[in-house]
Amino acid sequence: MLILIVEDEPKVGNALREGLEAEGYGVVLAPTGEEGFFHASSRRFDLIILDVMLPGRDGIAVLNMLRKQGAQTPVLLLTAKDAIEDRVLGLDAGADDYLVKPFAFAELSARIRALLRRNKAEPEGVLAIGGLEVDSVRRTVSRDGQRIDLTAREFDLLEYLMRNHGRVVSREMLARDLWKETVRATPLDNVIDVHIARLRRKLDDPFSAKLLHTVRGVGFTLNEEQS
Amino acid sequence: MSGLLGRNLRTRLTVFYASLLAAALLLYAVCVSTFFLRNLREQLDSSLDRDLETVEAILYVSPDGQLQLRSHEGEADEDELDRGYLLEVWSDDGRLLYRSEQLGDQPLGQVPKVIPGHSRESAKSLQFTSGMRVRAMSRLHHMPDGKAVILRLAISEEPLWREFWKMVAVLGVGLPAIVFLVVIAGYLVAARALRPVDSMAKRAAEITADHLHERLTIDNPDDELGQLGTAFNLALARLENSFDQLRRFTADASHELRTPLTAIRSVGEVSLKKSGDERYYRDTIGSMLEETNRLTLLVDSLLTMSRADGGHVQMNLTPVSLLELAKESASIVEVLAEEKAQRLRVDGDSSVIVRADSTILRQALVNLIDNAVKYSPINGSILVNVANNQESAVIEVHDSGPGIPIELRNRIFERFYRVDKARTRAEGGTGLGLSIAQWAVATHGGTIEVQGEPGRSSIFVIRLPKLVTRTTTMSKH
Repeated sequence: MLILIVEDEPKVGNALREGLEAEGYGVVLAPTGEEGFFHASSRRFDLIILDVMLPGRDGIAVLNMLRKQGAQTPVLLLTAKDAIEDRVLGLDAGADDYLVKPFAFAELSARIRALLRRNKAEPEGVLAIGGLEVDSVRRTVSRDGQRIDLTAREFDLLEYLMRNHGRVVSREMLARDLWKETVRATPLDNVIDVHIARLRRKLDDPFSAKLLHTVRGVGFTLNEEQS
Repeated sequence: MSGLLGRNLRTRLTVFYASLLAAALLLYAVCVSTFFLRNLREQLDSSLDRDLETVEAILYVSPDGQLQLRSHEGEADEDELDRGYLLEVWSDDGRLLYRSEQLGDQPLGQVPKVIPGHSRESAKSLQFTSGMRVRAMSRLHHMPDGKAVILRLAISEEPLWREFWKMVAVLGVGLPAIVFLVVIAGYLVAARALRPVDSMAKRAAEITADHLHERLTIDNPDDELGQLGTAFNLALARLENSFDQLRRFTADASHELRTPLTAIRSVGEVSLKKSGDERYYRDTIGSMLEETNRLTLLVDSLLTMSRADGGHVQMNLTPVSLLELAKESASIVEVLAEEKAQRLRVDGDSSVIVRADSTILRQALVNLIDNAVKYSPINGSILVNVANNQESAVIEVHDSGPGIPIELRNRIFERFYRVDKARTRAEGGTGLGLSIAQWAVATHGGTIEVQGEPGRSSIFVIRLPKLVTRTTTMSKH
């Protein structure tokens, strides 16, 4: 999987490259719109991450030109301005998704996965890691054959973590995807923490091997190995 | 217009009043002169009348058939005849019988006609070819021999005109002098009356953003200028207030931003100095990321608020059941109440419907209920009540917390205002929750206030405009 990052801020660009390379993607980094456009039109990428605020030709202009050329590559816009016009402009120009800076890397990674597996159906039925089995149709959970009773919210939380297992899920992602809270100003962090703590009590406390881990400052992850 | 009348108000006013005064005085002068002239003529006419009677009395026909004027003593005296009187005598068939020598060939008007029934003709002014103006009067006279003659007597009008022009001259000099004096006085008075405007303008020009506490001095608050000054001062006060708020906000915001920044910096610096295992560094980085999240949350909240200030928020208004929305909001923070063994109850009238953007209004409710949970003690209770009163839809959030002192009740909605500074920050609040709640309610045309007893509980009361339901009227059809 080859990803093109067009980002003028070197710190951000390099961090993104390192992070994505660590997840197994091939990455090309372009610091200007012109260079980005050059790369995009000379090679085939699976995904383009495009900063909107670029010196010279900005992200929207690059995107417009790419789409005019008929490029179908999925494009994820990065924007510093949390303005509605910006989003509309970007989506009109043919962006597939956008992310507002500052964003959590976990969030970016999740968006990238979503864009890359577009058109592929979500796996239905039973999800399993180690001894943990989650039946998303019947909404039942068991660990080592032992049934675990969860509230609806706890089940949604666990299912979400299962679908992203092995990766870190941020509080922002949970707030947006599970609580459908579009505005980050609402105080949900404490609420999420309490739900995680309860889930952990039911899921991990009776067992010696721990599955649900907190990554300090980042979020939560469901993982077989001890981190 | 302003070019014609002068640029400043004082000149314009003076010019305006002076013109008005001049016009009035001119009208007055014309009236007075006309009246004076008429009066003089009336006097002249009555003396003419008297003279005619005298002439009738002394007129006789001399034996040689000539008309003669007798002297008072009864003697004929040519000189007497010609001394003052300008006399013509006409026969009733239009022949000139006598004309004073002084008149020479100058006739006193046209040949008179006898109109039956009229024995006299009213006085007339004429001007001789020599330029002399006279007043003439005619009368039918029966001579002792029974013959009728027409006497026409004239008196010079020159003394009258002299009198008249003297009068005009007095007016012509006096009135402009009066106008001039009034202009000067008016200008001075206007200057005096408008002096407060000058001083206000000077003072207002000195007031800058740094000197907003200054006020205009008002001499008389009841007159128009005083009212203007008062209005200006009130505007200044409001401006000062918003400036203060803005200044406080900026100071508070930078303080709030500095706190996590300081934490990031010191945690980073300290762990760079020390050497530790991977676990230690992970912990350090995690701690720094926590602060970063706090910064992000803060910046996002600020952005929400500034967009709200700019009025850039698009509202998606739909009919919303307040009780449903309250239940939904409570269910989000319910777990927090459970952790503190608090009772969180949502109660009320399920028929209360408002037109609202449920996402925005939910922010207000979640913030209020979250606050209530935060400030109520363990085992405390929180009640959210939804009701309709006559004017509005009302949501009350009762907590069992420490309450809010009455003097602070207006301030708690200010951005970053905290009743207990250390506590809320430790609990991860941004200090913007209530401001956001207030904005969310205000943007729906509602109000929010705090009631309750200090020391025992707080009640946050939201009032929203009721939805005028069309469904009820339609169901009647």
